[in-house]
Amino acid sequence: METRDQNPSIEQPEAQPPEVTEKQVQAVIEGKVQKSPTPFQQSLRRLMRDRRALVSMCVIAFLVLISLIGPPIYQHIGGTIETADAQKIGPTQYHSHSFQNLDHLDEGPNGLNWLGTDRVGRDMLARLMQGILVSIVVAVLVEIIDILLGVVIGVLAGYYGGWVDTLLARFTDLMFAFPGLLFVILLTGIFGPQVDVMFANTPLLSGGNARLLLVVLALSITSWPLMARYVRGQTMQLKQQQFIEAAKAAGTTDLKIITKHIVPNLFSIVIIAATLNISNTIINEAGISLLGLGVQDPGSSIGLMISAAQTLLAIHPWEALLPTGMLAVIVLAFSFLGDGLRDAFDPRSKD
Amino acid sequence: MIQFLIKRILGLLFVIFGVTFITFIMGYFAPGDPITAMLGERATPETVAQMKHLYGLDLPWYQQYGNYLVNLARFNLGMSFRLQGRPVWDILKDGLPVSLELAFWGLLLQVFIGIPLGIISALKANTWVDTLNMSIALVLYAFPVFITGVLLQLLVIWVSKQTGVSWPVTQWGYPWRYTWTDIQYKILPILVYATAGIAYYARLARTSMLEVLKQDYVRTARAKGLREQSVVYRHAFRNALIPLVTVFGVSIGFLVTGGFFTERIFNLPGIANLTLISIDSLDYPVLQATTALLALCIVLGNLISDILYSLVDPRIKAE
Repeated sequence: METRDQNPSIEQPEAQPPEVTEKQVQAVIEGKVQKSPTPFQQSLRRLMRDRRALVSMCVIAFLVLISLIGPPIYQHIGGTIETADAQKIGPTQYHSHSFQNLDHLDEGPNGLNWLGTDRVGRDMLARLMQGILVSIVVAVLVEIIDILLGVVIGVLAGYYGGWVDTLLARFTDLMFAFPGLLFVILLTGIFGPQVDVMFANTPLLSGGNARLLLVVLALSITSWPLMARYVRGQTMQLKQQQFIEAAKAAGTTDLKIITKHIVPNLFSIVIIAATLNISNTIINEAGISLLGLGVQDPGSSIGLMISAAQTLLAIHPWEALLPTGMLAVIVLAFSFLGDGLRDAFDPRSKD
Repeated sequence: MIQFLIKRILGLLFVIFGVTFITFIMGYFAPGDPITAMLGERATPETVAQMKHLYGLDLPWYQQYGNYLVNLARFNLGMSFRLQGRPVWDILKDGLPVSLELAFWGLLLQVFIGIPLGIISALKANTWVDTLNMSIALVLYAFPVFITGVLLQLLVIWVSKQTGVSWPVTQWGYPWRYTWTDIQYKILPILVYATAGIAYYARLARTSMLEVLKQDYVRTARAKGLREQSVVYRHAFRNALIPLVTVFGVSIGFLVTGGFFTERIFNLPGIANLTLISIDSLDYPVLQATTALLALCIVLGNLISDILYSLVDPRIKAE
C-alpha cells in the first residue's frame, strides 16, 4: 500500500544495490558494461536458489514426461503371454490401462506387471500413468480457462470499474460463500450421466471424456473468481502508477495500455495464483472421481484408483498406497512450487 | 452494529436464495425422470401423471420453485422421491446427528489442538520444535482429507497387524454415545476430519503470535518487569487470538467440503453421504434440502465470524 505513490523506477534498483565485484570492474575497464539484472531476472535468480521449489519443479517435469511417453514405451516392453483361455496377447494389451487380465488379480509388483495389478487384473503402472495424465490434462485445461476468464474480467473490472466491477464483486462473494466443491459435485453428479450419453459418438469426447470435460468446466467456473480478484487488485495498483499516466498523456488508447502495459505486468501474480490453484484443481479432480462423479471405469484417474482400492484396504494395502502416495507427491510438488514462486516473484516478500 | 447485522443477514438470505435456485434449476433441467425411475419402466402413463401431480411436478418451473420456497419458509421440505412419500425432514434426521457430531468434535480439535500448537511454535520460534511443527503443518495443510484418511487407515491396519490389536477403520458408532467401542470407531474419522483445520489454525496462530510478540506493548510489559508467563498469556496471547476469529468461517467451509470425503472414506451415514445417494437416485427434494443445509452452515459460519470480529476488534466498525 505504501509503495503505491512511489516511483517504481526509483524503487527497485535502489532496494538492492548491485554489489560491484572485481569482474564487473574488469568488464567496465574492458568496455563490456554489464547490465544490472531486471526485476524479472532477480526473481528468477531467487527462485533458482530455492532448493525445495527446484526439486518440486523437477518432480513435476518428470511426472509430465512419464505420463506422456511412459505408456507407449511400457506397452512395448515384455513378451507375448498366454492367458488361461489359450489366447496369446502382447504387451500392447496387457500393459494398457483398461485390459483386465483375469489370471493375475491383486498381484504385487512383479516382472510382468511392474507395479502389480488391481482387483480385476488391470496393470497398476499403466493405470497410474493414465491417472497422472488425466490429472495434468485437467489441471492444464482448468488453468487455461481460469487465466483467460480471470485476466479478462479482472482487468476490465480493475481498469474501468463500474458495473463490471460491481458484478464481479457480487459474484465472487457468492462464490466464496458457496463452497466450490459442492457446486462441482452437484453439476457433475446431475449432468454427468447425460453428458456421457449425449457425446457418446463425438470423436475426442466419447468414452467418458465428456464427463471429464464437465469436471473441467465445473472446476473452472469455481476457480476463476479468485484469479479475477487478484488481477483486479493488481490492475488497480498499476493504474495509479506513472508509466500508465505517461502513456495516457501520450495519447495511447485504452486497448493498447491494457495489452502493452498492464497485462505484461500481471505475469507474476497470474503465475503464482495459477500454480497454487493447480494443486487445488488436481485434488478436486481426484476427489470428484473418488466420489464416483468424475472419470468412470474403464478409464483411469488417481481418485478412481483410490476409490477402487478402498474396499480392500486391509487385504491389499498396496493398491491404495500407490495412488494415494502418488497424489500426495503431486500435491506437495505443486504447492511447494507455488510457495517458491510466490516468495520469488512477490515483491512484498523480498525482505 | 444493528445495521451491520441486518446487512449481513440480508446477504445471508441472498446466498441461501441463490443456492436453492441453483440446485432447483439443476434438478429441473436434469436428465432422467425421477418419477419413472421411482415407479419403474412398466408403470402406466396414468400412474406417472398421477404421481407427478402428487409431487407438483406437472407445474411450470417457476410455480414449482415458488411452491418450494413457500414450503421452505414453513420448514416443510417436501417428500422424498426415492423413499416414496417419506418426508425429507425425516430422512435428514437420520444423517444429521452423525454429521453434527463429526463437525462438533472436528471444530473442537481444530481450535484446541491447532491454536496451542501454533502458540508453542511461536514461543519456540526457529528452534527444532518450531521447524518440526511447521513442516508437519505445511504438509498436512496441503493434503486433502482423502489422502490423510487413506494413509491413516493404512497405518492403523499395519499397526494392528503387527501388534494383533484390532481397530476399526470404517463405520461410525452410535451417535453421541461414548462407550469404548464407540470411541474406537469415532477417533479416526474425527482426527482425519480435523487435520487440515488443525494445520491451518496452527500456522495462523504462529504468525499471529509472532506478530503480537513484536508489538510495543509486549516490550513495555517485559520492561516493567512482568513475569514471562504473564506477558505471554495475559498480554500477548489474547491479542494473538483476534485474527483467528476471522477464519472461523473458513474452517466451517473446510468442515463442509471435508465432510464429503470423510464420510465417503470412512463410510459414515451422514448428510454428505445422503447428498451423494440422492444424486445417484435423482432424489431432488432430498438433494435440495441437504445443499441448502450445507450452504446455510457456511453462511452462518461466515456471519458468526463477522460478528465475533467486530466484537473483539472495535476498530472494524469504522470501516
